[in-house]
Order: sequence, then structure tokens, then C-alpha cells
Amino acid sequence: MTAAAIAVRGLGKDFGSLRALDGLDLEVREGEFFGFLGPNGAGKTTTVHLLATLLAPSRGAARVAGYDVVRHALAVRRSIGLVFQETTLDRDLTIDENLRFAARLWDLPRRVATPRIDQLLGQFGLAARRGEPVRALSGGLRRALDIARGILHEPRVLFLDEPTAGLDPRARRSLWQLIRGLRAASGLTVFLTTHYVEEAEPCDRVAVLEAGRLVALGAPADLKREADVGSLEEVFLARTGHPLAAGGAA
Amino acid sequence: MSARAVYGIVVREWVRFLRQRGRLFSSLARPFVWLVFAGAGFAAVFAGRDAIDYRVYMAPGLLGMVVMFGALLAGLSTVTDRDAGVLRMVLVAPIRRSTIAVGKALAATLLGTAQTIVVAAVLLPLVGLRPTGAGALLALGAIVLSSLATGALGVLLAAGMRSIENFAGVMNFVVFPMLFLSGALYPIGHLGPVLHALTYLNPLAYGVDLLKHALLAPWSGAGYGGELPVALDLAALLGWAIVGLGGATPLLAREGGVTRAAFRERA
Repeated sequence: MTAAAIAVRGLGKDFGSLRALDGLDLEVREGEFFGFLGPNGAGKTTTVHLLATLLAPSRGAARVAGYDVVRHALAVRRSIGLVFQETTLDRDLTIDENLRFAARLWDLPRRVATPRIDQLLGQFGLAARRGEPVRALSGGLRRALDIARGILHEPRVLFLDEPTAGLDPRARRSLWQLIRGLRAASGLTVFLTTHYVEEAEPCDRVAVLEAGRLVALGAPADLKREADVGSLEEVFLARTGHPLAAGGAA
Repeated sequence: MSARAVYGIVVREWVRFLRQRGRLFSSLARPFVWLVFAGAGFAAVFAGRDAIDYRVYMAPGLLGMVVMFGALLAGLSTVTDRDAGVLRMVLVAPIRRSTIAVGKALAATLLGTAQTIVVAAVLLPLVGLRPTGAGALLALGAIVLSSLATGALGVLLAAGMRSIENFAGVMNFVVFPMLFLSGALYPIGHLGPVLHALTYLNPLAYGVDLLKHALLAPWSGAGYGGELPVALDLAALLGWAIVGLGGATPLLAREGGVTRAAFRERA
């Protein structure tokens, strides 16, 4: 039996009178590829920010990599990588400088950071452009760099918050290839949020979120079998009574 | 506190500063524009023109101005980090919020100090000010400490701001009052009681006073040197640095605004 990478009990978050997340119970296993599916505004990003210690929960508790998100926030942040929905790169710095900056923030000594940066740049196809400022990169390459920076410190859990938003189909495909390769190589736990059903299909398990509440949880095949439908799209429809796309695509 | 993280934050600010040629040029040129234009105007009405050349009198103030624009604006850059998203990445790093505040303030100290030293190397000979060794050392201390104090104040202001739109307000209600109530351009002893009281809250006033102690000592008999005790200037600057850092730290942590804003857009 492996320890849970993420364990969530009764997690809730209010913004004023708005219940962004309500009583979430969830367990993500070590090495699992976990999908968090729901329309925009369902509370996916709020959940990620709670698990990443950027927000304090209003109710409930969560442990990430074995650490409590409230009491051991620094230990949690040390154990996770987070790729935000919008890029957080410094556009004025080069690829190399962005990674060096992150390496220092994550307290990696130079002798560790330098080979790790070289390796990641090679792996992500960025080596030839390492001296270029980020503003000169395409959206797809920026995203790749966001992910490279997210795993620079070899986290146990990687959060990907809508990683393909705003990317063209080709960049999307190469991004998924990259993530598959990462998982195969390292057994990294990946927590993916998306509002695209097709992106959730390859996940080991999927949690379906609607208006801050969990409406389904299980392997995509099981969910489809239970609802007796052919796609996760229809699972969402069966559970909530309305189509996923109604939340509005980004 | 991670020294490597602080170093990383400082290096990033330094590289960005050197890369922004426009900012570099305008920050170095600004005091000379003031020297020529404000200097000409004020010299004509300056009460002490028999005792001291107005351009000599304004030199410490101009250095204080370089400190303020250099360090305060560098501290304020935290708000552009928030706008550009970089601050989120910093907030998810395994470092304390106080480390971020200290890193930003030290970066502001470095930028303010470097710019002011470069300007001083040209400005002081230009107006014919030749400080003594002790005076130069005190001036250096004044520049570093005022950069730290105004840089920390900049981080505090930026941490409390939601977006870059509040920037104009800061210029109008913080930067310009700080400059005019600092003694940089005219003695502040003759101001009305309310304004004069405000000068005691102004970190730049202590920095400029210290610079006058350092550079205008020969004119102190005529009433144009530093007016407050040196120890008070030093203590006030340190106090401001501590207030700025201490105030900014919890405000930086209040980053819930990130998710809240994103949520509102989509809800």
C-alpha cells in the first residue's frame, strides 16, 4: 500500500458569501495521474490554490505529500510543483535566467541546479534558445518552460492548472507528449485541472466538480459504465443535468 | 530565511534594471534636469544666496531624490510582479513571506545606492562640492540607509496595492509630498506647523538631513547643514525600514486576491 499523495477531508472555501468549494473529500495516490474536471468557476483553481497553500481553507483539512497545508505550508510548498493557469515567467529574463531565479527560490545549490537545468532544457527542447528572453517564445514553448520550472526541484506532486488553455492543437499535443514522458520517467503524481473532457480521458481517475461540489469520482471507464454512457461529457450531463460546455469555454 | 532566495530576488531585480535602458537613462538624467531647470528658478528666489550657492544647497536633496526614485520605485515593482504573475510563482516557492519582503527591499537598496553613487560622482564635482573623507563615508551610509527605508516603504505600498492602476495615486500622494517635504529643495523649518509635523513622518526627510550633515557641514553655521541630530536620522531611517518590512510581510501573504480575482472573472 502506498501513501496518499493528496488527502482531502471536508475541504471548503468561501469568498464572502460565495461558496467556492464545499465539503470536498478526495484522495490521490502516489504516482497517480489525477484529473479534476469541471466547467469554469466550478472551484478547480480554488482547490489547487488551497492544496498549494496559497489560500487558507474556510473548513476541513488537506494533506499534500504527507504535510498539513495549514500547519506545514513550507513543507508542502517544498514538495509540490505548480503550473498556474496563466504563465508566471518573467518575460524580460531569458529562459536560463528564469530557471536560475527559480532554482534560487527553491534553494538549490548551483552544483545541483546547473546539471538539472541543462537536463530539463534538453528534455523540453529549449536548449538552443536558453539565452533568449521569454517574450520571444511562442505560447507552447512558454508553457513548456513553465512546466520545466515547475519540476526543477523534483517535486513529488505536480499541479497543472488548465495547462493547455490558449494553446493551439499542435502545441497541445506536444505538451501532452511531454507530460506523458515525465510521468513515465519519474512516477510523478500529477494533479490536472481541465474543462476539456478529452484531456481527462487518459487520467487514472477523474473527479468531476460542479459549483464547488464533487459530483463524480472514479476511473473514466468506471464512471462511463456506471452512467451507461460513452463519454465523460455524458457522465457530467447525467450527474448534473446540464452539459459541461455550458460553463463556457476559455 | 533562505539567503539563496534573497540573493535570487536581488539578482533578478538587478538584471531587469540593467536591461531597461529607458529607466536606467531617465533615473540617471533626472537629477541633472532638476539641477538645470529647478536650480535656475529656485536660485533666483532662494533666501540664502549670499551664504550658499543654491545649486550646492540642492545637491544633497538631488541625491535624496535619486535614492527615492531608485529605491521606492524598485520596491513598488512588486506590484508589477503581481500584475505579470511572477509574484504568484514567488509565493508558491518554499520561502517565508518575510524573505520576499527582505529580498525586494535589499534589491531596492542596491538599485537606489548604485544609481545615487553614479549620480553623485558627476553631480558633486559639477557643483563644486568636495566632501571630506568622513563626510563621504557618512553620505554613503545615508544613501544606503535611505535606500533601505524608502525601498521597504515601496514594498509596503506595493504589497497593499491590488493593481498597477493605483500607481498614479502613489506618485501624487506619496512620491511628490515626500520630495517636497524632505528639505531637498528648500529648508523645511519655515513650513507651517501641519506640514512641518508631516516632515517627521517622512523617511526621505531624515535621509536628506543626513546627506546635508555629510555634504553641507561647512554651511551649517549659516543654517544650511543638517538640522536634526545624526543619531535621530539614523534611528528614524532604520525604524522606517523595519516598519516597511514588518508591514509588507502580512500584506504579501494576503495573496488570496489572486484566486478571488480569477474566480470573479469566471463565476
